Amino acid sequence: MKTVIRTWIVNGKKYTVEFPPMRRLLDVIRETLGLKGTKEGCGEGECGACSILLNHEPVTSCLIAAGQVPDGAEILTIEGLELTHEGQELQRMYVAKGAAQCGFCIPGMLVASYAHVTGDHPDNSDAALREAHAGNICRCTGYAKIIEAVSAAAERLSHEDEDDDT
Amino acid sequence: MSNLDDTEFLEPATLAEALRFMADESTRAVPLAGGTDLMVQWEAGVRPPPSRVLNLKSLPELAELRAEGDTLIIGAGITHAALRRSPLVRKHAPALADAAATVGGAQIQALGTIGGSIGNASPAGDMAPSLLVANARAEVASIHGSRTIPLTQFLVGYRKLDLAADELIIRFHLDALPAEYCEGWRKLGPRAAQAISKVMGSYRGKQEGGKVASFAVALGSVAPTAIRLREVEQWVVGRKLNADTLREAEERASAEVKPIADIRSTAEYRQWVSGRLVRGFLEHLASAG
Repeated sequence: MKTVIRTWIVNGKKYTVEFPPMRRLLDVIRETLGLKGTKEGCGEGECGACSILLNHEPVTSCLIAAGQVPDGAEILTIEGLELTHEGQELQRMYVAKGAAQCGFCIPGMLVASYAHVTGDHPDNSDAALREAHAGNICRCTGYAKIIEAVSAAAERLSHEDEDDDT
Repeated sequence: MSNLDDTEFLEPATLAEALRFMADESTRAVPLAGGTDLMVQWEAGVRPPPSRVLNLKSLPELAELRAEGDTLIIGAGITHAALRRSPLVRKHAPALADAAATVGGAQIQALGTIGGSIGNASPAGDMAPSLLVANARAEVASIHGSRTIPLTQFLVGYRKLDLAADELIIRFHLDALPAEYCEGWRKLGPRAAQAISKVMGSYRGKQEGGKVASFAVALGSVAPTAIRLREVEQWVVGRKLNADTLREAEERASAEVKPIADIRSTAEYRQWVSGRLVRGFLEHLASAG
């Protein structure tokens, strides 16, 4: 069993990890890095529970051979997301709106929310918010409260941007 | 443990190096780009673990996206996310940008590539119809050189491509959308996102004075490969965009496709939808004038 060594920036910190290159990035994050916040749902790229940000783009970590992630790549998981201002705002609104029930999908869901609110010129219409979360499945909430939470967070964050401009 | 732990992982830094791996049977490998199809099949045991995998993610030669005269050139490694947000694609092949935006969700779009979608050779691949109406050519390469083949010939059959064992898909060449032409994309699946298509298609056309001046239409999931509907195309050009033309074009499109029934839909429904899609495209063309 051959292994490769990679140095990544995970949640803002440099980590050097060794693993068999075809291991799923999800497994390297959970087992090698010990970051258990990222969940495995379907293991087929359908449910989005394993979503992380790879170089600022949301991806399903169950579909990536970890060897494909080059040195210097930036990875943000739920553990790093909650240290960011936008992540905290989203967390607060998820709680305030009752958007989390069993919670299993929530790490991946928050990653999708974070990718949306930190994207270039986010469109915060209901349709755009739903599309941004279309790759994440939740079997508890029916999505309405999640969309309300992201909408509220996006609203608050956009007002901050206006304050910055003045 | 994973069933892929013993798979050898080849990491070429350049296309030339990748083609050398592919040239020799002792180093030939399964090319891996976004992994959205292959990783699932390997992990689930649907496909046996490969001896070797060739990582295409790091090849700069597959990452180009540029317009050259009247041609739009798209590297095989361009992701759906990059296609949907590229101003070049939006301008020169808008139906391709629209199609890319309906593949999976954001997470799949950030991983999957246009080369992987075509390379997977599924009739349900969402990239093919928009490429077909733009008269796309596939460029493939081996250590012996490269060749460029019309996509209509490259897509040989169900899961079959005109691609030799030592060749890799490098890029696609598309006719850029000419002035006064318009395009459209429609996809029918069980839900709006994360769904494999029942039927989907694209058109590129032009109208002049209420008549069809030019019309190309391609549908997917209605035959072993995505196809152009040549008979409908020829029949409709020169006709007035009126109710009679729309009705007959719809009937002719339904008759021209020969879909199968499978887990995603029935043959009858696919035929009916094919007609409705073609009618919708002509209505779109009529309103675009």
